[in-house]
Amino acid sequence: MWKLQLRRRLYARRVAGTALQQSWQAPLPSTSRDWRRVSFLVVDAEMSSLDINEGELLSVGWVEVENGAIPLESARHYLIKAEKSVGQSATIHNLRDCELSEADTRAEVLQRFLDAAAGKVLVFHNASLDMAFLNGVSRREFDAPILMPWVDTLLQEQALLQRRDTPIKSGDLRLQACRDRYNLPPYPAHNALLDALATAELLVAHASHRSGGQEFPLAKLL
Amino acid sequence: MNDQPPPESTRRGDGELPRQLSPELAPVAEFLQQTLPFNELPMDVLYGTVDRIVVQYYPRSQVFNRDTLEKGLRVVRSGAVEIRDSDNKLLDRLGEGESFHIGGLNAERGEVQATVIEDALCYLLPDAAYRQLRENNRKFDRYFSGQRSRRLRRAARYQPEPNTMMQEVRTVMSTGLLTVGTEDTVQQVAQTMAERRVSSAFILEGDKLRGIVTDRDLRTRFVARALPFDTPIREIMTPDPETIQAGDTVFGTTLRMTQRGYHHLPVMADGRLAGIVTASDLILAKQDDPVYLVQHISRQKDVGAINDLVSGMANLMVQWVNSGMRAQQVSQILTAISDAITVRLIQLAEEKLGPAPVPWCWAGFGSQARSEQLLGADQDNGMIISNEVREEHLPWYQDLAEFVCDGLNECGYIYCPGDIMAKTDQWRQPLEAWQDTVRRWATSPTPDAVMRVSIFFDIRCVYGSSRLCDKLQKTMLKQASKNSIFLAALAANALDSKPPLGIFRRFVVDRDGEHRDSLDLKKRGVLPVTEIVRLHALAHKIPAVNTDERLRALAADKHMTIVDSRNLADALHFIQHQRIKHQCEQILRGEKISNFLNPRDLPKMAKEQLRDAFTIIDEAQSAVRQTYRAGLG
Repeated sequence: MWKLQLRRRLYARRVAGTALQQSWQAPLPSTSRDWRRVSFLVVDAEMSSLDINEGELLSVGWVEVENGAIPLESARHYLIKAEKSVGQSATIHNLRDCELSEADTRAEVLQRFLDAAAGKVLVFHNASLDMAFLNGVSRREFDAPILMPWVDTLLQEQALLQRRDTPIKSGDLRLQACRDRYNLPPYPAHNALLDALATAELLVAHASHRSGGQEFPLAKLL
Repeated sequence: MNDQPPPESTRRGDGELPRQLSPELAPVAEFLQQTLPFNELPMDVLYGTVDRIVVQYYPRSQVFNRDTLEKGLRVVRSGAVEIRDSDNKLLDRLGEGESFHIGGLNAERGEVQATVIEDALCYLLPDAAYRQLRENNRKFDRYFSGQRSRRLRRAARYQPEPNTMMQEVRTVMSTGLLTVGTEDTVQQVAQTMAERRVSSAFILEGDKLRGIVTDRDLRTRFVARALPFDTPIREIMTPDPETIQAGDTVFGTTLRMTQRGYHHLPVMADGRLAGIVTASDLILAKQDDPVYLVQHISRQKDVGAINDLVSGMANLMVQWVNSGMRAQQVSQILTAISDAITVRLIQLAEEKLGPAPVPWCWAGFGSQARSEQLLGADQDNGMIISNEVREEHLPWYQDLAEFVCDGLNECGYIYCPGDIMAKTDQWRQPLEAWQDTVRRWATSPTPDAVMRVSIFFDIRCVYGSSRLCDKLQKTMLKQASKNSIFLAALAANALDSKPPLGIFRRFVVDRDGEHRDSLDLKKRGVLPVTEIVRLHALAHKIPAVNTDERLRALAADKHMTIVDSRNLADALHFIQHQRIKHQCEQILRGEKISNFLNPRDLPKMAKEQLRDAFTIIDEAQSAVRQTYRAGLG
């Protein structure tokens, strides 16, 4: 966590007075704190392409994890106004251009995201992709990455399987494949919010099992 | 000016939600909509409810009880939860889509605890939101105040594991036995009993059990009679006590002990004393078991009270079947219950009519005699009266028969459509008249008569002088076994209904009518087996009437190969089990019980097994045709 603080300080001048700086004002949880007493914001984003140079964010969904549980009132889903046409990926996300044109601007959504994320630990399933896009948006707005602590459930699951010497087959780390190992139900639909909820449930299941009812510090998830 | 209400346009409507639920969460709402009682909520309320939900995950063995901090209704999204009462008795087992509220359950039945038995994802509706929903939605509220649905579900899921009543006695008996010699003095024995803190001692000679002595014997046969201390124990023991086998069921043992008033029963294994069971070992264990029902029946004072007691039998059967009880055991218990009802009705009649003028016996026929009754059985019974009976005695028997048959009918054992009942004169006769009738049937059988009376050859004394019943059965076996024409007629009867298999082992189902696409498991499966086995048993003078016992005897006496005997038994058990399971489903759906089953409703495996069962019956029929109908066509 101190590395993060250090990097934030490097960018402090650049982001002064922005929403990003405001978000950074909130104190970050100690890494020794039990996971149940940490606030998480579980995020999933949909993009028009998996290539960071080509794709742009289409929608973002998130939900909080508080006290080891997921209050659904914290669930949010935002469509982002597209700059280019959605094209082929519309078939995956069910997001059509006409819907997206009614959506919020990237800046508005980023603002809301930063409000929600303040003081929380972000959670993604396969963080590198979502973080790359979020950082991209942030750089454009504030000339700085978002610099927030995050947990990657995919990496956590991978490490868990490796510790158990379980051979990992292709597809074993997909979100639903991970969920299946915890007896979590499949979701029929596919959107940023449901995937965020699905990831949140996975986080809670994963942490519950690893903690075994004992104290389980945040550090072990980072 | 400041007190003015805000203008209409900015005020929220009553039902409006503080935040529009993201339509992306629709799957959560849709899931809830498929569960009880959320299906009663209007869509807008349901969507508002989703917002109040907290998703929680509990690993196995997580416990919820009164002290659980977060109170509210928990809907199981995946996984399974068990609910037990303070005695750790299983009340319910919940799976996907079912919900529980510890506070609510406690209000209803004392200390209740829920345990996660399979990692569970739950939707917690916090107490405040739950109460608000109940206050504002009558139908939603009614589900939690209404008992019916819950009781029904409990009947369907109730699983005492393992079913204690069907366990072998060896699992509950005590083995720390006190054994003494026949010549030991009463004082020595009493001292050892006091030291070992036991209430009974066994008297052995070599390794042979000679007697048993209990606390009560010391009191009544020794102290009360002021015998000298050096009296040998054999003088006050109960000699040659009744014993049970270690493999007997707890149910059978309990029944025997309560019926005869025993408190101790020695348990034998391989011909040697292995342990002892006491009444408290057995009875105190279970309160809602069939044995209690049987016991309660014998205490009722009138027909109405008996009927009240047995009206819940259908639900009980569902419980037993779901607890893994097998078909033979279910029918054994159902028969024990109808026996108990019959006996109680006879006792009530005797209280009114006075004692019987001459010895007699009440005989059960057919499935009751074979201990193979299921729900919805009609009554098949008769009376055998001692030959000393005189004309003026007859009204006593007629009055009794009418009282008992009417009572049985009232309790759900409807009058026999073929009039095979003690209340018809033909089925209430002195032993001699019965024996004449049997000879007449055996020597000049008509197909119609044979069909009508074939169940009569399954006979068992339910009440009264079993000697009369035994004598009649002896005549029956003697007449039947030596009379090949009669056996051929019985064989024709046994071949009458064919198993419902066409070529290529396809099921043959009814083409139209009420039971379209279904087959009658009783007529096409159970009856052919019982008839085939009865025929073999009569031909070989086997006195057993229960189909399993007959099959075992036939194999033991080498009239049938062990393989054939087992195959037929398996086929019968499988079909009976399917029949019972099907009836349980009908009970749960609130339908009338029937024996008709659509084979398409069966899982693939069961379908194959049913085919196998019918094939076995078909082969057994072929064997009957060759043995008893050779040359007759």
